[in-house]
Amino acid sequence: MAAVDLTRGAIAAISEGRVKDGVKPVVQVWEVKLVNTQQSTTERYRMLLSDGAHMQQAMLATQMNGLVKLGTLQKHSIVRLDEFICNVIQNRRIIIIINLEVLVSNSNAIGEPKLYDNGSASQNRVPSPAQSTSADQPVIAAENPQNYGGIHSSTPNIVQNVTRGPSLSPATEAVTTNSSFAGYYGNGVMSSRNTNSVPSEHPKSEQGVGRISESHPNSGYQNQRLSSPASVGAFRPPASSYGHPVQPAYQQPPPMYTNRGPIAKNEAPARIIPIAALNPYQGRWTIKARVTTKGELRRYSNPRGEGKVFSFDLLDSDGGEIRVTCFNMVADQFYDQIEVGKVYLISKGSLKPARKSFNHLNNEYEIFLESQSVIQPCSEEDNTIPRQQFNFRPVNEVEGLENNSMVDVIGIVVSINPSASITRKNGTETNKQTLQLKDMSGRSVEVTFWGNFCSTEGQQLQRMCDSGVYPVLAIKAGRVSDFSGKSIGTIGSSQLFINPDFPEAHRLKDWYNREGKNMSALSISRDTTTMSRNDVVRKTLSQIKDEGLGRSEKPDWITVKATITFVKVDNFCYTACPLMVGDRPCNKKVNNNGDGTWHCDRCDQSFPECDYRYLLQFQIQDHTGMTWVTAFQEGGEEILGVTAKELYLLKYQEQDDLKFAEIIRRVLFHQHLFKLKVKEETFSDEQRVKSTIVKAEKVNPSSESRYLLGLIEKLLTEDPIVVSGMQTFASTSGMSTVAYGMVESNNSVHSVTNNFGINNSQLGKHENEYGGNSRHVFSRNEVQAFCSSCGSTSHTFHNCPRVNVRDKVLPHQHMEVVVHQEDTTGNMSSLLLYQLLCLVAHQCRPIRNVGYSGLMMLSAHMTVYKAHLDIHSTS
Amino acid sequence: MMRMDTSSPAVFVNAEILKMYLGRRVRAVIQVMRNDAGVIVGQSTDGNQITVKGAQAFPPAHFVEVIGIADGSQSIRAEICTDFGESFDMTAYNGLCQLANGKFKNLFL
Repeated sequence: MAAVDLTRGAIAAISEGRVKDGVKPVVQVWEVKLVNTQQSTTERYRMLLSDGAHMQQAMLATQMNGLVKLGTLQKHSIVRLDEFICNVIQNRRIIIIINLEVLVSNSNAIGEPKLYDNGSASQNRVPSPAQSTSADQPVIAAENPQNYGGIHSSTPNIVQNVTRGPSLSPATEAVTTNSSFAGYYGNGVMSSRNTNSVPSEHPKSEQGVGRISESHPNSGYQNQRLSSPASVGAFRPPASSYGHPVQPAYQQPPPMYTNRGPIAKNEAPARIIPIAALNPYQGRWTIKARVTTKGELRRYSNPRGEGKVFSFDLLDSDGGEIRVTCFNMVADQFYDQIEVGKVYLISKGSLKPARKSFNHLNNEYEIFLESQSVIQPCSEEDNTIPRQQFNFRPVNEVEGLENNSMVDVIGIVVSINPSASITRKNGTETNKQTLQLKDMSGRSVEVTFWGNFCSTEGQQLQRMCDSGVYPVLAIKAGRVSDFSGKSIGTIGSSQLFINPDFPEAHRLKDWYNREGKNMSALSISRDTTTMSRNDVVRKTLSQIKDEGLGRSEKPDWITVKATITFVKVDNFCYTACPLMVGDRPCNKKVNNNGDGTWHCDRCDQSFPECDYRYLLQFQIQDHTGMTWVTAFQEGGEEILGVTAKELYLLKYQEQDDLKFAEIIRRVLFHQHLFKLKVKEETFSDEQRVKSTIVKAEKVNPSSESRYLLGLIEKLLTEDPIVVSGMQTFASTSGMSTVAYGMVESNNSVHSVTNNFGINNSQLGKHENEYGGNSRHVFSRNEVQAFCSSCGSTSHTFHNCPRVNVRDKVLPHQHMEVVVHQEDTTGNMSSLLLYQLLCLVAHQCRPIRNVGYSGLMMLSAHMTVYKAHLDIHSTS
Repeated sequence: MMRMDTSSPAVFVNAEILKMYLGRRVRAVIQVMRNDAGVIVGQSTDGNQITVKGAQAFPPAHFVEVIGIADGSQSIRAEICTDFGESFDMTAYNGLCQLANGKFKNLFL
């Protein structure tokens, strides 16, 4: 064995930081021990180094681990320390060996080294000069910056003597910026970005660090604080009380360590760790995960400039999830590579705390990729990694969730409303669609789709429900809102799955087919009467009174399908002020000055010409009742088809009463969909509920048919009683009072009564222009069953005292439904269809035959059908 | 008003339901796909094909209501054909067919 001399006094020198640049002391490894840090799979070796006289603790950089494993480096090996630092942790010195060379593998123990004592250190030290040197000159740090990973002085007095504060900091700043230290130590601080936050990132720092930090409250000791925790982190193996596994990795060669030569990078093969173990203090890491969702490449501009960003979410085999974000160049680099559903190996990204407002995954961190990050696709499928991770909560639990929390749910779509376009507060338009989701907890919740979900999944679900299928819907990352009870809405990153192939979905479907269908679910979303104005709330006219609409503080906004039966022609308009107040015309009623000019009190001006605005009052009826409504300018124009001014001139100037009457008459008995604002107002000590028309639409047969179909279905599937009730009626009655006890769904309750008898005979006489007797379909009242013939809740139709009316049946009553349509949008047959459906829904009478008689005039612009529905009583 | 003949009401059918009423009077709306000599081939409201025999030609893509006798699992021997034009809500009609042959059959037959 070659005799290799150990460098005399090396240990002492190293410990005291007296080793000059370029000197590579030779020491003997007195001991080698493997230590495992908690929660980590990385191994580290702790050693005792000896120079024959003294020993000191040391830790071996992981890149040197191979030497130990191979056996090259073993107990009593003689090594030359090429690169090292000496640090103090908890008053103990530890030498960190970054690079060494094994000179002699097998050797005998040399000498009887004693553990180099801290106490003796101070004594051994050439006290004053050294100290004063260190005290006076900031240069110490400057000269031997690399020697001292940190402040060595372990004893408090030494520390205190040294005015490290102001003197040291600039020096250290100059020498080794915090970043390089941090980088040097690796400690999971991946890039210089994080260095200054290192102290704060060790909230659970051991007392040692705490102590040191405390004794140097001065921010000037930042350097120390930085390195100490860093070193503590590095060299505190199992006792690490960090929540995260600490992985010192000597990755980036600190730029300042020029005297040590290049530090070899750790090119050990990637070790895959679970996503759950990722943290900013992690050294090298690699994860293997599947992309569950990929966002779009978004462009943004903020005060700092423009940029682009995209994110994708990963899921690994342990169920850990994390979001990955790339900016600018990096985004371009990786955007095309990432595909949803594929598995990738990802490494060299940086970890930062997750932005909880955007990121709803169950991870406190997010990965940010840089240009040196590596994404490697995995060619073989990894079945241990699920495609999607859900955490489904039953609907009844959603009720207890906090507003704005995220949730995954799965349930059966029991009803869905058509999507509607609504205007947001900022003026932009978007689509909204609501549906009811029911699950095995027996509760149902309202789910709202926003934006694109309406046109994609929303439409698909609508079609499915219309055709009687009730699909399973799974939602990932839906947001709970406390709007109308508790409801769930989609957000940008929500994901919808229709009839997915999950075991939960199958279970749900089975349950639904067996019992769920017939179970009436209590909705955790409140009734429609509290729904916002933007939702279509269908009511019947009798409900306005019955439900006391308009009586609360805010007006109620409802939609009714009704027919205009009378128009009040006196005072159909008023003279209005045309001047602009802000961005809207004043519209206040103006006074006639008598000389042909008009005067407005509010604007306090006179002008020659005034505006004419509608103030139409008319009576509308549906199968439940009637009410008076008022229409203003827009509504009036929509209904009458002429402007108020035109009509005014027609009547008062041209005095063409005939034409005037024609216009008015044209409007009668046409069915419209009215959007009403119902509000109670006080008129000289009297409270009156007034309804104003906000919008008037012609009934679109096609969409109305669908609406009816939906209602019919709902009716049928939710309440079997109804069905039998219907059948009973059909068989016993001629007259068509149909009424059932009802079970509520989220829609309005329509009762079905019938004015048939009366109308029939009249109808027979009037062949023209009767737009059809529409009968509504109903949905049902879960809580209240009431007799729909008289509206009372004390009995159902079976016992209704009005029942005797039924017996006054005239057999062979014909109902003539004339379908008269003048517009060119076609759908004549749809109109007929719609009428049929109304009748079906009503079950008024059997419809034995549907025929077309009369002339069918096909011209370019007009098609007129006359349809006769022949109705016979079953007896 | 003249009384209509209600002795044999036509059943509202689509291609699926047609099969159940062979030999009976049915009515269905189809969308014309093509016309061959005296035969119309069209798509029923449930997406399947129906052939109509003995009918005049109608413009393709128009919706036509056919009333006649069901003489095959996919065909109708036409008695009356009515052109419904170019737009028609097939889904709604399909829904009607389901209802008219399902729970509400007693209303129609």
